[in-house]
Amino acid sequence: MMPLSLRRPSRSPWLLVAVATLFAGCNSKPATTSGATAPAAKPATEPVSLTLGAYTTPREAYAEILPAFRPQWTKDHPEGIEFKESYLGSGAQARAIVGGFEADVAALSLEPDIDTIKKAGLITHDWKARPYQGMVSRSIVVIGVREGNPKNIKDWDDLAKPGITVLTPNVRTSGGARWNIAAIWGAAIRGKTSAAKDSPEAATKLLSAVLKNVKNMDPGARESLLNFERGVGDAIITYENEILVGKQKGQKYEYVIPKSTILIENPAALIDTVVDKHGARKAAGALLDFLITPDVQRLYAKHGLRPVVDEVAKEVATNYPAVEDLFTIRDLGDWKGVGITIFDTGTGYDKALAQAGTP
Amino acid sequence: MKSTAYALEPSRGERIARHLTTLYLILIVAVPLLALLWYGVSDGLVSLREALASPVARQALWLTLWTSALVAVINLVLGTATAFVLVRYRIPGKSLLSALIDLPLAIPTLVTGVMLAILYGPESLLGQSFTNLGFPILFAKPSIVLALAFVTLPFVIRAVEPVLIELDPGEEEAAFTLGAGPIRTFRTVILPAIAPAALSASIRSLGRAMGEFGSIVVVAGNIPMQTLTAPVYILGEIESGAPRAAAAVSALVLAAALALHGLAHLIERRLGARHV
Repeated sequence: MMPLSLRRPSRSPWLLVAVATLFAGCNSKPATTSGATAPAAKPATEPVSLTLGAYTTPREAYAEILPAFRPQWTKDHPEGIEFKESYLGSGAQARAIVGGFEADVAALSLEPDIDTIKKAGLITHDWKARPYQGMVSRSIVVIGVREGNPKNIKDWDDLAKPGITVLTPNVRTSGGARWNIAAIWGAAIRGKTSAAKDSPEAATKLLSAVLKNVKNMDPGARESLLNFERGVGDAIITYENEILVGKQKGQKYEYVIPKSTILIENPAALIDTVVDKHGARKAAGALLDFLITPDVQRLYAKHGLRPVVDEVAKEVATNYPAVEDLFTIRDLGDWKGVGITIFDTGTGYDKALAQAGTP
Repeated sequence: MKSTAYALEPSRGERIARHLTTLYLILIVAVPLLALLWYGVSDGLVSLREALASPVARQALWLTLWTSALVAVINLVLGTATAFVLVRYRIPGKSLLSALIDLPLAIPTLVTGVMLAILYGPESLLGQSFTNLGFPILFAKPSIVLALAFVTLPFVIRAVEPVLIELDPGEEEAAFTLGAGPIRTFRTVILPAIAPAALSASIRSLGRAMGEFGSIVVVAGNIPMQTLTAPVYILGEIESGAPRAAAAVSALVLAAALALHGLAHLIERRLGARHV
């Protein structure tokens, strides 16, 4: 016989579910405001702790930059400094910070990710008021090709030819992949490709021809390059620094710089609510200043990134050749503008994708 | 009589155990699920309607549904056959084979994806041959089916095995004695006994397949309207700052999985009861 207790369900669990869910629902706001009320600086005897929340690409550069910053800081602050570092995809890092990860300084791949943090109310100052509009490093969008360039790929138009397999990440999962699309779109609009100048329709057509050749959209730039290294694709649209780092590690691929391409600019900013809570505003500011000193700019250049400081850019010009027609996101109407023309639902990219899907 | 009295007045220990386990289940499973549902529908289904208006989302859901259903059917047929062979036939290295069946559950699904990408990639002979035949596997729909078949392999086999072992050999002997051939015996004696377990496990594998992400994101190709599955679409919505659309589609997938689970349970009870 079945024990009676099994037929007598307790009602309390379901009440618990309801209460717990309510609790979860009410508590969903990020607990970030609490930090603003506690600006008390730590006593000067304790070393200041600085957390860097960065995107993955410049990890090797920061492995050299942070140790170089330590003597700079301890010169005037004998109590010293401790670093904590976190490296994620740019968008994921921005979300982590918004979700409560206490990074004092965010160094990300693109401006909209810093804006995500700003919109959440964690950055309250005008971070673009810093030198170089808050940017600390640069790169350009290039085309990676196989050793010897067997398919003779020279420019964006070549990626649109039938029979070429192209790699570029999914723009929905990789914020950075938007640079790739903006590069092709901008080159087309500026009349530097076979597409008619200033014609969004022609730009969409070129983009769709390229997307038609994309057989695999990886979730991010690194996965995309890994697939290229694994032998997938004739060409990869990616950032110059990714290719240069790969070549430093002994990869045999090559790259071509299109006639017209976009300048990638990587921002860094201190996060007001966090530095105030940690008493780390001064240290965070000093680190940001340090990032744009010639020495650190040379370190970025060593790890594949183009410097923002002119003086250093001239020094490394042989490794980072000039682009015939280099444009910036501002030439395309800033991130807001490209949102409206290219990336918002149903605009340029979606149209190109739809055209690519119908033979 | 003793058990009734015991049940009416559960001991203190029993009561604590009962409440603790219920609380555990609630905290680990029910609360997160409800939080997702809550978030997904908290703006009055606007996000869900908007998400479903997008052909990309609809296509992703459809792709996930049919590939998972196909894999569920494959599991039903081949899983049942595998279980039968394992239980009934003497084969060398049986224990090794049995360990192999559990392996897919032990491997991180991301590794499954990388494994398939290497096997069918452009650098492997296998990948090259399939591509040359005009039937590419990697970054095409076949890779989705292969990955799903891999990660859901144990479901049906492990559900059918114990039923076959428990089956009274007397029934089959009786069928034989009464002149039934092997096929008829299988159809009239064995099949009815294992059908509930096989069907419900197949449906559970369908639910599991619908949620598969780790291996799919590596092998599928993730091209919108072509090889983008619902879980990868959901990731894209999260990454591009549309968490509500992501939650809405997630809630839909969740609802489908729950419905399938309910169906599996129903089949177990209905079909199961007839043959006890």
